[in-house]
Amino acid sequence: MDESDQPARILLVDDEDYLRNGVKRILQIEGFEVDTAENGGEGIKKGTDSDFDIALLDLKMPDMSGIEVLRKIREVRPNTICFMATAYASYETAVEATKLGAEGYILKPFTPDELIHNIEKGMQKRRLILEAERLRLEREARLLELAFERSRLNTIINLLADGVLVMNQYGEMVYYNPAALRLLDLDEILLAERILEVLPQEVREIATSMITKETFEDVGQSVQFRIAAPQEMFVEVTCSPIPDNGKKKTAGIVVVAKDITQYKQIENLKSQFVSMVSHELKAPVAATIGFLDILNNPKMNLNDEQRTDFLTRSTSRLKSLLTMVNDLLDISRIELNTVKREIVKLDLAALLGESIQMMEFEARKKGITISFTKSDSAYTIEADKLEIERVITNLLSNAIKYNREEGQVFVSLQKKGLYVLLEIKDTGIGMKPEEKERLFSEFFRAKNEMTKGIHGTGLGLSIVKKTIDWYSGKIETDSEFGKGTTFRVFLPEKTAKE
Amino acid sequence: MNYEKKILLVDDDIDILEQNKILFESEGFEVAIAETSNDGYEKFLEFKPACAVIDLMMEEYDSGFVLAHKIKKHPAGKNIPVYIVTAVASQTGMQFESMTPEEQEWIHADDVLNKPVVLEEIISRISDFYEKHTS
Repeated sequence: MDESDQPARILLVDDEDYLRNGVKRILQIEGFEVDTAENGGEGIKKGTDSDFDIALLDLKMPDMSGIEVLRKIREVRPNTICFMATAYASYETAVEATKLGAEGYILKPFTPDELIHNIEKGMQKRRLILEAERLRLEREARLLELAFERSRLNTIINLLADGVLVMNQYGEMVYYNPAALRLLDLDEILLAERILEVLPQEVREIATSMITKETFEDVGQSVQFRIAAPQEMFVEVTCSPIPDNGKKKTAGIVVVAKDITQYKQIENLKSQFVSMVSHELKAPVAATIGFLDILNNPKMNLNDEQRTDFLTRSTSRLKSLLTMVNDLLDISRIELNTVKREIVKLDLAALLGESIQMMEFEARKKGITISFTKSDSAYTIEADKLEIERVITNLLSNAIKYNREEGQVFVSLQKKGLYVLLEIKDTGIGMKPEEKERLFSEFFRAKNEMTKGIHGTGLGLSIVKKTIDWYSGKIETDSEFGKGTTFRVFLPEKTAKE
Repeated sequence: MNYEKKILLVDDDIDILEQNKILFESEGFEVAIAETSNDGYEKFLEFKPACAVIDLMMEEYDSGFVLAHKIKKHPAGKNIPVYIVTAVASQTGMQFESMTPEEQEWIHADDVLNKPVVLEEIISRISDFYEKHTS
């Protein structure tokens, strides 16, 4: 009997009614599902239309031979088990039928037992075939999946910006992606090439010690190095050992290389800034110590005037040091975004008027006149008062400091769309193009014959720029060496910030 | 040991400059000072010092080198000691030893010294220089 859930389906092709009906009845009693065809043509149609488990074909039929039916069914349904039923078996037909895939002959007349026995044997085979087929399809599907998975993984690794290279315990290349070539400074490499020898020395040392270790240790190691050509590049490489199956030995190494050039550049900028700061902070300290040493040196025969002068100058240097430290703290607050601001509606015209008044004294010392023009509309912006005041006084004091004797400062306010434009123009010494370029960088101060004796920390404009940036404004500069400089500050009337 | 005690000091910090002026004067030197490298070169031409001490970082980070080069190239400067002083080496880690021989020859300074200037050290260096070059 059929052991599967579904009863076995059998096709019976015979031109003799009594045989068809008799066999059908026997098989149905045994629990099989039986369909019949009374000639070859009908047999082919039914046998190819659906996948019968077993077909029992009469060899001799009026319209065609059972061999022909067998051939057609096997063509379309290679897994249907076919038996030939005949009284005239001959060696030749038997050979031909077997070649065409017939399972066997059932000699007429046959007993029910013979028939059932053959059919059950056929069913065993059919089940084996179907199971094998199922496994084959399953395996094919899995292979397809695997191939897809592998190509997906390949694509991902190939597109990584970081370099990946895998070597085995003999130091032979197993896998790499294109970025690895660039970041490990390698030309084209070959599969199974002994990669150890061509790796940058820093990486080679780590990798060699890893694969020559007696026992596996799950510890990665990193190293940074510089590649000089074709373009300077800094690379950080991490080597991670791969354990073998027993986790006893190192089976290979995964090398990951990362481009850290940008981090290095930032690090460089930072240390440059630090050295610049220390240089600038040291200068006033050195000058003050110098004065005090001379004042304390009994061998120097200083007169009272000199003593007073040196003490005054020491005080002034220390005051400028204090200003510089405060400016630096302000810059760091702006950069860390920890400035405490009180955003209010500010009348820029009024603020400007006050600031000009404050600077009048300084201006008059050099015989400089300050003029202020504006139309009568209101110029309100939303901002922190102290911060904007600082921007204004910084620019005004520059316009006075870097002006000529008896010079002029023109201050004006205009509306420009959603912005207020503050312009401060001087008739001073101006800037050379290369000075203008570095204008807003920390500690930059134009140094030439004309700026001799002008003091400052070199931080003012840096703070001005950072402040204006915070308000999403803009600062522009026009300057001509020997003629004067104009600063234009655009501040938005409304700020989105709070 | 025989040299005219005339020294040129160049530094963009006027306070440091005047302090060094007083110190060298107290040792019997005649001192000329300049706050910029251009001014320094002019003072060199008119003052004809027997020695020059130049600050490295002035208008540019290497202004001192340029001035040293110009002085040493001039007939009047060829045979005088020129010292560059700098605070840069200790602060920025800038390595002056790494200068190529070509660069060193171009700059031609007799030494690069650390700031602050130690009066006695400079004076003894000047003496040594003239002892070596006149004997």
